[in-house]
Amino acid sequence: MTIGADRYGSRAGTLVFLGCVALSVAAMSMPDTWREPVSRAIRQTILAPFLALQEETETLRSSRARLAAVTAERDSAMLAAAFLPELRAENARLRSLLGLGSRLSVTYVPAEVLHEAGPTDPLTFLVSAGRRQGVRPLDTVVSPEGLVGVVASVDEQTSVVATWAHPEFRASAMAVDGSVYGIVAPRGSEGPGIWLLELQGVPYRNQVPDSTLIVSSGLGGVIPRGIPLGTVIGPGAEVEHWERTYLVRPAVHPAAVTHVMILTGAPRNGGSLKDLFQAEGKSP
Amino acid sequence: MRKSDRYRFWIVLIGLVLLHFSVRTRLGDDRIAPDFLLLALLMYTIRAAPGPSAVAGFAVGLLRDALTPASFGSAALAHTLVGYLSSWAKAVFFAENLFVNGCILFGGTWVRNLVVVLASGELKGSPLAWELLVWSPLQSLTTAAVGVVVLWTLGRWVSVRVGDA
Repeated sequence: MTIGADRYGSRAGTLVFLGCVALSVAAMSMPDTWREPVSRAIRQTILAPFLALQEETETLRSSRARLAAVTAERDSAMLAAAFLPELRAENARLRSLLGLGSRLSVTYVPAEVLHEAGPTDPLTFLVSAGRRQGVRPLDTVVSPEGLVGVVASVDEQTSVVATWAHPEFRASAMAVDGSVYGIVAPRGSEGPGIWLLELQGVPYRNQVPDSTLIVSSGLGGVIPRGIPLGTVIGPGAEVEHWERTYLVRPAVHPAAVTHVMILTGAPRNGGSLKDLFQAEGKSP
Repeated sequence: MRKSDRYRFWIVLIGLVLLHFSVRTRLGDDRIAPDFLLLALLMYTIRAAPGPSAVAGFAVGLLRDALTPASFGSAALAHTLVGYLSSWAKAVFFAENLFVNGCILFGGTWVRNLVVVLASGELKGSPLAWELLVWSPLQSLTTAAVGVVVLWTLGRWVSVRVGDA
C-alpha cells in the first residue's frame, strides 16, 4: 500500500482539526449542569449496546465462581433450613427477653463495575444498575470491605459513581467507638499521600491512635452510619492548635472493585451498619 | 484491491471496538490492559487524511468522556490530537512498515494518556510521574503489541486506504 502525500496538503483538514480542538476545549469548559445531560444522552444512545455487552461480559466472568459459591450456599442453606423455624422462634424469644429489636437490614442493589481504560477511572466509574433497578442519586455504594462512593447520576440501566477519591467527595465520619468525629475527604492528587483519605476537623484535644477504624457517622443523612471508610495510619497536619488532621488508609481502592452494592434504603431505625462489614482496624 | 477488502477493514475496526467492551476487562489491570478502542482509532487514522482523523478522534474521545465524566472534554481533546498527529506521522514516515506502525501505536497511546492527565489536571507530582513513566508506557506497550499482532495476522485486510473504502 502506498499513501499519497497530496492528501496531507488540505487546508480544510487543518480547519476541521482546529474546530475539533475548539469543541473539546468548549466541552472541558462546560458547567456540570450541561455536562451530565450530554454524557447521559451519549450513554443511553450510542454507548447503550456496548455497555450492555460489557455488563454481560462482567456477569459471565464472575458466573463460574458464583456457581461454585451458590452451590455451596445452597447445600448449607438446605441444611440450615431444617432448623430454621426453631431457630427463628428461639431468636425472637431471646430478643424479646433482652428487649432488642429485630436485626438491622438494609435494601441494596448489586451491580458490576464497568471500568474504563483511563487515568481518571478511579475518580468516577459506571456501574450496571440504574433507575430501573431502583438506584437514585446520592445512594451509597459499598463493597464488602467498606465505602466505595456515592451515586452521582442515574441513567435507565447504568449509574455514575463518584468514588471517595473524587476531589469533591466528603463524608461525615467518626472513630468506630464514637469518641471522635470529623469529616473525611480525599487527600488530594499530589505528593506521597495520594489515594489516601484525610480525617479533618478533629478537635485539637482529641488524639486518634493509629489503626483506629474510621466509619461513617450518618450525620447529614446521605451515607448511613457505620460503614467503614478506612483505618488511621498517622497524623496529617494540625491547624494552629485548633484542629488535627489524620491520614486514613481507605478500606477499598476503587480501581480494585469489580462488584458493588448500592444501598437503596436507609437502615431500619437509623441503625448502624458496622457489623455487616469485614473491615480491618480496631477501636481506639 | 478486491472490493471485499474494503469491508474487511471496517469489520476489523468493529471487531476491535467489540473486544474493548468484552475482552479487555479480562486482560488484567485496567491501567495496563490494551486499549482496543484507541487501537481501532489509530488503525483508522494512519490510513486516513488528517481532517477525518481529527473528527474520528473527537468522536471517540467524546464517547470516552461519557464513560468517565470526571474529566469531561479531556479525552475528546486528547483523541483529537492523537488522531490528527498520527495521521501526520504516517505521512512523515510514509513507509508501510510493521515496526513503524508499532511505534505510532505506542506513541499514540502514550500521548493520549499524557494529554488526558494534563488536561484533566487530576494528577500532579509523583502520581503524574508514575502515570506517565510506568503505567502509560506499559499500556502503550500492550496496545502496540496487540496492534502489531493484528497488522501482522490481518495485514491484507487492514492495509486499505480509507479514501478507497
